[in-house]
Amino acid sequence: MNVWLIAAGALLIGLIPCGIVIVRRPVLEALIALELASVLNTLVLLLLAEGFHRGPFFDLALVLALLSLAGGLVFARLLERWI
Amino acid sequence: MSPVTVVVDALLIVGVVVELVCCVGIVVMRTAYDKLHYTGPASIVGPLAFALAIVLREALSQAGIKALLVALLLIVASPVLTHATARAIYIRERDHVEDPHS
Repeated sequence: MNVWLIAAGALLIGLIPCGIVIVRRPVLEALIALELASVLNTLVLLLLAEGFHRGPFFDLALVLALLSLAGGLVFARLLERWI
Repeated sequence: MSPVTVVVDALLIVGVVVELVCCVGIVVMRTAYDKLHYTGPASIVGPLAFALAIVLREALSQAGIKALLVALLLIVASPVLTHATARAIYIRERDHVEDPHS
């Protein structure tokens, strides 16, 4: 166990409030919480990659950061009128 | 304990605290617009702190560059996503976008 893994574990706690908002609040507030959860997950992957000293794991964080941008934009566009 | 280790630990603490405060803010704030404010620091301060910590530890190796790239991507994506989400909230509330030129 090192500081990177401890930081990753602490960040995972932040997913609980995001989950509460996603489950209990209206859909657009849930989208905001989902966007925040995506950022948290990206950072957790980044910290885990450093914590385990595995270079290729950094690619996971990079891909998630890219895909969460695309996913967020698609969700926002669809939730404007159609869903 | 070397100075670099102290700075790295401090950056990690700053990053984690900022992220957790933003998560609490998302729950506590009442309206969607208020909640939207808390995605800003979470996508800018946190990633920057973690990326700097990794660069300090690894220098500009492959890991350091990828960490900086992730932080850069999150920093660029944050205002775009915030704008798109705010626009979605606005249109959903009013059912149209007002044309400022009409």
